[in-house]
Amino acid sequence: MSVQEMNLQELLDCFHEVAHDPGKQMKKYLDEGKKVVLVAPVYTPEEVIHSMGMVPMGAWGGDIQLNEAKKYFPAFICSIMQSIVELGTKGVYDGASAIVIPSLCDSLKVLGQNWKYAVKDIPFIPMTYPQNRKPAFGRTFTKAGYERVAADLEKATGIKFEEDKLPASIDVYNAHNAAMRAVSEKLASHPEITNQQRSDIFKSATFMLKEEHTELVNALLAALDKAGASAKKTIRIMTSGILADAPDLLTILDENNMQIVADDVAAESRQYRTDTPDGDKAPLERLADKFAETDNCSVLYDVEKKRVDKIVEDAKKADAKGVLVLLTKFCDPEEFDYPLIKRACSAADLPCVLIEIDRQMVNYEQARTAIETFKDLLA
Amino acid sequence: MAEEVKKQRPPLDPNSAKARLGKIAAEAYSSAQEAKARGEMVGWCSSNFPVEIPETLGLAVVYPENQAAGIAARGAGERMCEISEADGYSNDICAYARISLAYAKVKSAPEQDMPQPDFLLCCNNICNCMIKWYENLSKDLNIPMIMIDIPFNPDYEVSDAELAYVRDQFWAAIHQLEELTGKKWSEEKYKEVMEISGRTSRAWLAATACARYEPSPFNGFDLLNHMAVMVTARGKLEAAEAMEKLLSEYEENHEKGVSTFRTEEKYRIMFEGIACWPWLRVTSTGLKSRGINMVTTIYADAFGFIYEDFDDMCRAYCKVPNAINLEYARDKRVKLAKDNKVEGLLVHTNRSCKLWSGFMYEMSRQIGEECNIPVASFDGDQADPRNFSEAQYDTRVQGLMEIMEARK
Repeated sequence: MSVQEMNLQELLDCFHEVAHDPGKQMKKYLDEGKKVVLVAPVYTPEEVIHSMGMVPMGAWGGDIQLNEAKKYFPAFICSIMQSIVELGTKGVYDGASAIVIPSLCDSLKVLGQNWKYAVKDIPFIPMTYPQNRKPAFGRTFTKAGYERVAADLEKATGIKFEEDKLPASIDVYNAHNAAMRAVSEKLASHPEITNQQRSDIFKSATFMLKEEHTELVNALLAALDKAGASAKKTIRIMTSGILADAPDLLTILDENNMQIVADDVAAESRQYRTDTPDGDKAPLERLADKFAETDNCSVLYDVEKKRVDKIVEDAKKADAKGVLVLLTKFCDPEEFDYPLIKRACSAADLPCVLIEIDRQMVNYEQARTAIETFKDLLA
Repeated sequence: MAEEVKKQRPPLDPNSAKARLGKIAAEAYSSAQEAKARGEMVGWCSSNFPVEIPETLGLAVVYPENQAAGIAARGAGERMCEISEADGYSNDICAYARISLAYAKVKSAPEQDMPQPDFLLCCNNICNCMIKWYENLSKDLNIPMIMIDIPFNPDYEVSDAELAYVRDQFWAAIHQLEELTGKKWSEEKYKEVMEISGRTSRAWLAATACARYEPSPFNGFDLLNHMAVMVTARGKLEAAEAMEKLLSEYEENHEKGVSTFRTEEKYRIMFEGIACWPWLRVTSTGLKSRGINMVTTIYADAFGFIYEDFDDMCRAYCKVPNAINLEYARDKRVKLAKDNKVEGLLVHTNRSCKLWSGFMYEMSRQIGEECNIPVASFDGDQADPRNFSEAQYDTRVQGLMEIMEARK
């Protein structure tokens, strides 16, 4: 069945299937003869990989028990990093040609070093980003980082990077960004779409070629328009954090009639806010400009703490009644921002609740209690 | 366990290296306080920020990490951490940061006061946590932050691209500070600072290298205290002179067959990680009572900055311990372990320091194999006393000692 022929439910099922079985998706690409490159969070230059005809596939870890990873990480390193290594040691990523890991937080730096010894068959390619990313010297350094990634990819795969192929990939990614922004906004007026379904739409993007995902998202947008919005009344909230994909957590939100109408989640909207600018510059310079213009994120230097104001602004704009901070345990960039978010929300008369989450969480009863309290607060 | 021999200690000679270094460390605070009183601007500075910049510009700076260590060593780590935690900071965040953010709020800690800042000098070559900590200070205190980003280097060598990026930032920071404070950069003064810093560093490295003697002429815990001067004052003449004095004392100790490790040195180990400041006595006694001398630590050469020119200085700041990859970090430690003939490695798995501890399991395995020495680790924290168990420490050190003994 072509994407255009799929109805709303079929599209939602398709997102769900991809989001919940990335292994199948990876096998499909490998069977098609494509090379797959793992991309760890966040802001990994997927466009470079895409322009080389390879599939960038997100590696954000998984909700699994940690065994092998404990040989490499102390317990107080974030579970996203630990579960990426755990999946690597278990052979889940077998077939991937390389993994690209940026160094935007201390735990990501550590991940790269441990990966080299824990998963020796899949080469580690570092992407070293500057924090002083806006001045010319920062942009030059970003470009050098991209060139290094391209050179390492050439070594790992034998495929040559050609800069003149990059603009087409930049267009694919910009189109995908636009589609993701549009769907986030559209879903805010479709309370019949569950939080789990919303999450599936975002998560599936991680495991698909972006041109394929854009086609599905655009079809979904059309299907939503065709179906019209339901009259269901929900409690509108905004989420903030690194991840928000735990099914149990999303179910609790659904059961409490809460609807995510906007998000500041790294695995969701944060990565789609900034497009690569048009212009006459060389393609890699344009891509470096994109990173320079990327803001409002806990792992990017932000002396004015503009991210905090943006959360309040986005929540108000989306008519969210409260902000739910889903704090990934041991993520210090997020932990440092939280007191300021709490303060800013309080000043804006916007209730804000914190729930700590990690990839090994099995009991969500404490989260349920916090969410129920939050619901009472918003009511 | 070896019996600890109690000796009557003579009063501290004011001309001794220990007295002079202690005075320099104390003056780092008092001179900044005096500058503040005179109406000069005072900065808070991260420990591996290129100190040559404020020193050449003649700016008064103090070091929040040193302050936090001092506060923790004097027993107030938990009290200060709890102030930040009440504001919403997770207790998983670096305890130095929690103490510092608390101090910026309450502006008083009798255990170690220091003047409030007019600007912030941040360099993340030790961790990105530093950026977040200083961002929040900047926001809360509404003061400018000068940020030098030295990325974690995944390669063994510093690339031309990294050098250019860091060099440009050094100059940008200098120009920002000139504009902010009205002080002017002088090449002549810089050369003088560079020369003194090199002299201090050479003396420090030579002093710490005296651990090659058996027995070592010093107790390795001395290094943890003297390091404060290397962090805060290595560009000052009196620091160079005091370090040269330290070197001569260690050489003299060796010639006389004495040591500041005041018991029989039965075992020699390398210590990995920042000191457990709230439990300094316990951690020190746990070793000393067994005749274990911590003869070396990566601290020993971490703060010895020797360079020829501005570019070389930039490279040196790219090579500090937490900015380098596992292989380079491992090789530096293997060299220290071999040069100083250590028989075991004791690793502090430091809850506060994700970067330092995050690949230490793998690195310490490799060091153990390369040097053929046993490795033991314990859980602790550089400043939050709640993250340390004396019983676990004791058990781990005992285990390490037994393996070292069996290998004798």
